[in-house]
Amino acid sequence: MLTYTIRRLILAIPTLLFISFVIFLIVKLSPSDPTAGLPLTIPPEVREQIRESLGVNDPVFVQYFKWLKLMAWDEPLHFIEGTTGWQVAPDGPRIISYQTRSPVMDLIAQRMPQTLWVVGTSYILGILIALPLGIISAYKQYSVFDQVGTFISMVGFSVPTFFTGVLFIVIFAVNLGWFPSVYNTTHVVTDWDSFVVQLKQIMMPVMVLGLYNASQISRYLRASMLDNLNQDYVRTARAKGLTEKIVVLVHVLKNSMIPVVTVIALNVPAVFGGAIITEQVFKVNGIGQLLIIAIQSGDVPVVQTVSFIFAVLIVLFSLIADILYGVLDPRIRYD
Amino acid sequence: MFDTSGAKKLVEVRDLTMHFPIRTGLLRRLTGSVKAVDGVSFDIYEGETLGLVGESGCGKSSCGRAILRLYDPTAGSIRLEGEEIAHAPFDKLRRLRPKMQMVFQDPQASLNPRMTVAGIIGEPLMEHTKLNAAKRLERIYELMDAVGLNREFANRYPHEFSGGQRQRIGIARALALNPKFIVCDEPIAALDVSIQAQVVNLLEELQDRLGLTYLFISHDLSMVRHIADRVAVMYLGRVVELAPRDALFADPMHPYTTALLSAVPEPDPASHDDAERIILQGDVPSPANPPKGCNFCTRCPRVMEICRQIDPVIREIAPGRHVACHLYAEDTHKTAAHAAQPTEV
Amino acid sequence: MKRYSLLLGATALALAPAAAMAERGSSGHLNIIYWQAPSTLNPYLSGGTKEVESASLILESMARFDETGMMVPWLAESIPTVDNGGVSADLTSITWTIADGVTWSDGSALTSADFVFTWTYCTHPEGGCAQAGNFDGVTSVDAVDARTVRVNFAESTPFPYTAFVGYESPVIQAAQFAECLGARAPECTDANFGPIGTGPFKVDEFRPNDVIELSANPNFRFPDRPYFATVTFKGGGDATSAARSVCETGEFDYAWNLQMDPTILAGMAAQGRCAIEVSFGTSVERIHLNQTNPDPALGDARATVEGGPHPFLTDPIVGQALSMAIDRPLLTEIGYGAGGQPTCNVLPAPALYASTANDACLVQDIPGAIALLDGAGIVDSNGDGIREYNGVPMRVLFQTSTNAVRQDAQALIKQWWEEIGVETELRNIDASVFFGGDPASPDTFQKFYADIEMYTNNFAGVDPQAYMASWLCGDMPRPQSQWQGNNTHRFCDPAYDALVAEMVRTADLNERGRLAREMNDMLVRYSIIPLIHRAGVSARAATLEGHRMSEWDSELWNIMDWRRTQ
Repeated sequence: MLTYTIRRLILAIPTLLFISFVIFLIVKLSPSDPTAGLPLTIPPEVREQIRESLGVNDPVFVQYFKWLKLMAWDEPLHFIEGTTGWQVAPDGPRIISYQTRSPVMDLIAQRMPQTLWVVGTSYILGILIALPLGIISAYKQYSVFDQVGTFISMVGFSVPTFFTGVLFIVIFAVNLGWFPSVYNTTHVVTDWDSFVVQLKQIMMPVMVLGLYNASQISRYLRASMLDNLNQDYVRTARAKGLTEKIVVLVHVLKNSMIPVVTVIALNVPAVFGGAIITEQVFKVNGIGQLLIIAIQSGDVPVVQTVSFIFAVLIVLFSLIADILYGVLDPRIRYD
Repeated sequence: MFDTSGAKKLVEVRDLTMHFPIRTGLLRRLTGSVKAVDGVSFDIYEGETLGLVGESGCGKSSCGRAILRLYDPTAGSIRLEGEEIAHAPFDKLRRLRPKMQMVFQDPQASLNPRMTVAGIIGEPLMEHTKLNAAKRLERIYELMDAVGLNREFANRYPHEFSGGQRQRIGIARALALNPKFIVCDEPIAALDVSIQAQVVNLLEELQDRLGLTYLFISHDLSMVRHIADRVAVMYLGRVVELAPRDALFADPMHPYTTALLSAVPEPDPASHDDAERIILQGDVPSPANPPKGCNFCTRCPRVMEICRQIDPVIREIAPGRHVACHLYAEDTHKTAAHAAQPTEV
Repeated sequence: MKRYSLLLGATALALAPAAAMAERGSSGHLNIIYWQAPSTLNPYLSGGTKEVESASLILESMARFDETGMMVPWLAESIPTVDNGGVSADLTSITWTIADGVTWSDGSALTSADFVFTWTYCTHPEGGCAQAGNFDGVTSVDAVDARTVRVNFAESTPFPYTAFVGYESPVIQAAQFAECLGARAPECTDANFGPIGTGPFKVDEFRPNDVIELSANPNFRFPDRPYFATVTFKGGGDATSAARSVCETGEFDYAWNLQMDPTILAGMAAQGRCAIEVSFGTSVERIHLNQTNPDPALGDARATVEGGPHPFLTDPIVGQALSMAIDRPLLTEIGYGAGGQPTCNVLPAPALYASTANDACLVQDIPGAIALLDGAGIVDSNGDGIREYNGVPMRVLFQTSTNAVRQDAQALIKQWWEEIGVETELRNIDASVFFGGDPASPDTFQKFYADIEMYTNNFAGVDPQAYMASWLCGDMPRPQSQWQGNNTHRFCDPAYDALVAEMVRTADLNERGRLAREMNDMLVRYSIIPLIHRAGVSARAATLEGHRMSEWDSELWNIMDWRRTQ
């Protein structure tokens, strides 16, 4: 397993290099201009100077290798220095955002906690909803519970989050006034009351994403449970005289979770992507919102770096999914 | 040959019916049912092996599963040592489970892939006994010895074994609680021929040693002939003939049994060539929509008018021999029926 | 001399609403939402409105423009004029005196050296300063003494109130930015995200593209202001949700730039929690008629003077007919509501410069347009429903940026033009491309590879001289200029160029007004078709008062006077 993991990690390097180059080219070749968002009152020669100072006019390959060197070497060292305090970071340029003229990694570091909070809690919530939903739906296939569950998860799965998000705002923030419609990103949790405030403001984005995740996972789980419920080993378990609880929750669920856990792992990057819209709707200052703003304003370094981080996440989580599969299913061995 | 006279009845099955509902349409309305087992009655005596044969789809596996209440039977009664199983509440059933066990057809699918051998064999012990961990392990080793598995494999997973070894695990698991009655549902069908004999021999040896009673479900007549004391033949949810093994193989009475036996290859090639094979015409009717009258009337080479009208009941027409066929109706000459048999024995 | 009397206001103190009993911080907390989030607080590194306006809470300049476009002395003691000797008689320098007792929020005194430094900072050749345009023509900035700053111009400058005036060229602290000149500007993240200013608020926390937390500047020169103790300046989302958070949920007190369906906004305002504020500046949604030929067959000469004039759009009759066919009030009602007024001028304000000669266009006249074309012999000679101009069928490609309001307007205009026999093909281009100015892209508004295009433009400040100079023959975008230039529709008239030259020489305000109006009239007959005079639209909570919305400066220019109603 260890050698397998190491081999996969080494193989990931050329993959990521290739991905980074493709992202770079796509972003670079798309018609965007960091000065496009400026008012028309700013004269063209000033615009040209701004572009020059941003390095936009360098050849594409020069820009790519500059970026790659910073991404692969300088930024990790800055990260190490930032977390450990060792003086290892090189002096010199970093990846600088066109819009804010500040290091892209600082922006990401500043925004990561919110995304992790929202994405993380919504994912956990989604799983917590999906487990009973999927289990009961499969165990009582075609029952009223199953039909209602299927309907809800189809709705949750097919209605886009930008719609549910606005719907939630209109219902819960505007009409009922239960939750704030704008996420207060400077809120600090210090005591119980501020925790309640945090809970309230995170509730709607988490519910929107959680509903979507729960729909997806519960569908997978239901299908997987149905597969397993008809297997002989379930009959064996019943023949052993086990209670239904043990048969379903131990024998069936354990086996059904193998594909579901890998789907959960594989979907983590997708959830980051899904959070882009939700963050925008609720004004959560996460990675996704950063990406949207960067795209809108032609902030190439941010778009590249965030896209690349998403690519790393995808590669990483597909590796994690594979390893999890090996851990969970004794039939799979990678050595 | 097992002698039924004076033996104790271990399992009594009466009018066992197992219908699976068919739901169709948007609202999944009940539109019919698959009559997998349709009024089956037989007894199994303590210590014997009852073979249950028939083509695939005839309902023999459903019958076996219903007897162990792995399915909830639609109607009928099943008694194990006089205790009703067919409609027993869950708790009572759970108490009865240790007495009756099952060995499944597919040794791969019937073992939980995420449990080790020790886990699989030990789980019933954990559920039904109060053995501590050490005692339990001792028992697991004992059982592994009994079925011829190396003790060192206790912590391995099912997929690491060959098919024959897996079936041994399945048998060890079935034996864990000292059952009296084991349903063997095609236990060797999925195995290589060379392994089949080993497993059958193991089953026989265990029967001798532990005094087990088997219901041996198979479509393989030669294997049934080898292991069974008595044989029940099923066709489309019904038992059409039930007889002691030798009598049945020597002198099949029901036209379906006759046809079935004619398809069995003879060990002696000469006699095989001589034997006249009866090829049945047509397909097996759908169990969702069986024909009127006798279930076999659509394919029977000796069909009579009455067969298309009246469903024959199974009757004992000679000691120990039960047949459901109008050829052996009370008003028909037994000899005439025998004369009409294609092969005289 | 009374030349500047129109522009000069009383002092800020006199203009402030009577705030009896009110003292600094007494109104508590203020929540502002800008649906575009500021990326930095250094207005010199980003010319975006969101950055410049948010920075205006912290950074200040010598003078500001109030809601009427009048100049109000801010850091300066008074507005320098030729009369009071602040502007040299030859109009080549202006001398500002810093008001007494102005300090930075860190307590140090504001001196003339800070202004000199600001000029050095923005004009550094490697800095990429976004506000360099405000220092155009400035040869040097001198510190005469600690409180006196002289700005010297290369030539006679009749309107010298560009550098250090308004919200786009505020003064930054020399001490803080000393190490940040030129190429090192981006390295000063702390300074760019937390500039020290003289304004009513100071930065407590800045999160780029998200939120700014501010608190009252303890060293602010007016001891009783600002009335708000703290401000949260949130960014992000979209106009509709920003409006909702002020007008429906009440989470915010002020929302900026609500470009959204006017009926939805009116519906929200009807609930009574908020008031809609509009203020008209110089923004005009207009249609430009390409005076050169954009025919792709011309290859490299396409849409250039070398490619020859447009086959029919250079004829004023055609432009007039196209203009007459448009129902401006309807376009305004559908797309802008209270945020717009129909206009016939490309230069609609300030009032001094607004012409009234073209107001006939406010009423749609399709029969008149048809009669006009028929009378000029521009008729449909082959019966296909499209008129021919000297044998060329009048088919036009009409482009604009992608934006729901613009596409609605496009569809209506297409319908009206087809009624008068001009076939119209519509096209819309993503705004970042259309306004992106990439010389390699064929889809920019400067390249104008279409017959007709529509967008909004305006000018900053109150003086239209530079704006009117946009339509000089020499300012056309063309290959030689990397397709840069303001004269997008390739208007060229020596008489117009002469008027521009005359305006540069003229200092008399009324005379300047006459010249500007004359130029405006030349343009709108008929190579530019003005449609709508657009206002800034904002929403404020009903409990917020003291707000005076200016389109000539930051909307937040007088935030020190804002307070909560009792």
